[in-house]
Amino acid sequence: MIALQARRSHRVERIALLGLRIAAAIVILAMASLLLYLAFEGTKTFFVDRFSLFAFLFSPTFAVDSNHPGAAVFIVGTLAVTVFAIAIGGPFGIAVGIFLAEIAPTRMTHVLKPAIEVMVGIPSVVYGWLGLTLLVPLIRTHTTSPSGFGLAAAGIVLSIMILPTVITLSEDAFRSLPTSLKEGSLALGATRWQTITRVLLPSAASGLAVALILGIARAVGETLAIQMVIGNATQFPAGIFAPTASLTTEIVTDMPGATQGTLLEHALFSMAFLLLLIAMVLIVLVRLALRRRS
Amino acid sequence: MAVTAPSARSVAATGSVRARKITNAVATVILWVMASSIIVMLALFVLYMVYLGWHALTPAFLFGTPKETSAGGGIGPEIFNSFYILVLTLFFTVPTAVAAGVYLQEYARPGTFRSAVQFSAESLATIPSIVMGLFGLLVFVYLFRWHFSALGGALTLTLLNLPALMRVTQEALSSVPDTLREASMALGGTKWQTITRVVLPSAIGRLTTGIVLIAGRIFGETAALIFTAGLSVPYNNPYALDLINLPHETLAVHLWYTHSESIVPDVDRIGNGSALVLLIMVLLFNVAARVLGRQLTKRFTGRVS
Repeated sequence: MIALQARRSHRVERIALLGLRIAAAIVILAMASLLLYLAFEGTKTFFVDRFSLFAFLFSPTFAVDSNHPGAAVFIVGTLAVTVFAIAIGGPFGIAVGIFLAEIAPTRMTHVLKPAIEVMVGIPSVVYGWLGLTLLVPLIRTHTTSPSGFGLAAAGIVLSIMILPTVITLSEDAFRSLPTSLKEGSLALGATRWQTITRVLLPSAASGLAVALILGIARAVGETLAIQMVIGNATQFPAGIFAPTASLTTEIVTDMPGATQGTLLEHALFSMAFLLLLIAMVLIVLVRLALRRRS
Repeated sequence: MAVTAPSARSVAATGSVRARKITNAVATVILWVMASSIIVMLALFVLYMVYLGWHALTPAFLFGTPKETSAGGGIGPEIFNSFYILVLTLFFTVPTAVAAGVYLQEYARPGTFRSAVQFSAESLATIPSIVMGLFGLLVFVYLFRWHFSALGGALTLTLLNLPALMRVTQEALSSVPDTLREASMALGGTKWQTITRVVLPSAIGRLTTGIVLIAGRIFGETAALIFTAGLSVPYNNPYALDLINLPHETLAVHLWYTHSESIVPDVDRIGNGSALVLLIMVLLFNVAARVLGRQLTKRFTGRVS
């Protein structure tokens, strides 16, 4: 009887493990097929339409009618909004991360943490709508920008949207430091601020790098919130308030009208593949930073 | 002693005790102001959205059907579709992600397979949702020859949210103390019995909190759905349950579409109302996540977390 039961539970055990393995394998399968399929579809611009990779990356002329889909404007646009977002959201996020890990009393944490979770949950389109109804009119009335749409509006919206990522990860980075570091510094007579700037910040550097890299990843991939406020003009940003476009916004703007198999469609898939490659490079950078920590 | 000497000197070299204390106080105040500004900003956002949108929240708007060219359209089918696609997505995501998470946390030994799963999950987590949307377009619309559909949208969102839910599962499992596992094994439980009867019940509170928070994100997802679930609802069958033949525009997609593509005259009213409904849903999901998580933890473990 007992032997029978033991044999049965042994079989259950094996079936369960098989099921769990299959679920894990699905994750690999999903990522592999995504990578291969987008690589196949995203390189048709070069292998089917025979457009040069160099021109795709560096030509500022995006004219599919004359067979010339240069994506330099969108690449620069993505770069510009990302730099804008990380320049504001990065330091701000790290500062709040420090606050949460080192200064905030429990009561404050109980308010701030749920607030950050709500920020994560607010849909991208709602941020876009806020930018559209609040930020764009503000920029229009207070600057020389005629429409208010442009790089600055997109950058500001993005800098708010990446805050939760940067805050949470930099808080983790500080919390994972051994307390002996802090105690040692305080025991030597350093103030809390000196301890933070001279001991904790340098020690948490690799963790903070991870926070910033994942913030950048969020900014590069964000689509609708910035599409609603960036102005969607196929031109390099002439100034900080000038309208432009990014890789993601260009895909959303032109994909609905693109016919399957055309050069426009292929070029948009090439941009998606480029975004995928950027994401993977950032993941590798995160892994390098984490390896340095351990 | 030799190790501590340099830092002791650098601390002493920064000036008088008083100056250091002033710097410290100023820095503390600045950090307080920065952190508080996040709460203030969020509160202002919410108030502003309520101010803009509360006029729009009439029964005709919340339960009516959208209009293509004239004013007065509602968002009833869009709200329905958001929930429909959410349920479908969770149906696929929860079993897969929890199973994969259990595998990684409880079974997997270091090796190629585990590394491959982890690297795939991290990569999936970083891929922009618009790129995921285009992948969904390739697979479900071009390859499978489905139309824009509820199932296509839900499966795309499944891929998008698998990694986050796997992470939640792993974190929930890792919060269960090993002594519980050892006690179960010592009583003769097998590994699978230990996981299903001891570990998962202990982790259920945290797991539920995580699932509901992710559900909130699925509810508001837009970019991945534009090219998979579509930009409209069927005119003659707005509350369709069809899986692969009919477009299912969700509320978040509707907000974007109304603003950027449609020609109805009352864009502002629809946008303000939709944005407020989305915001209210996010707040409800956040509250529900906390309450449910706490209740379940208490129920299954007797602990109050």
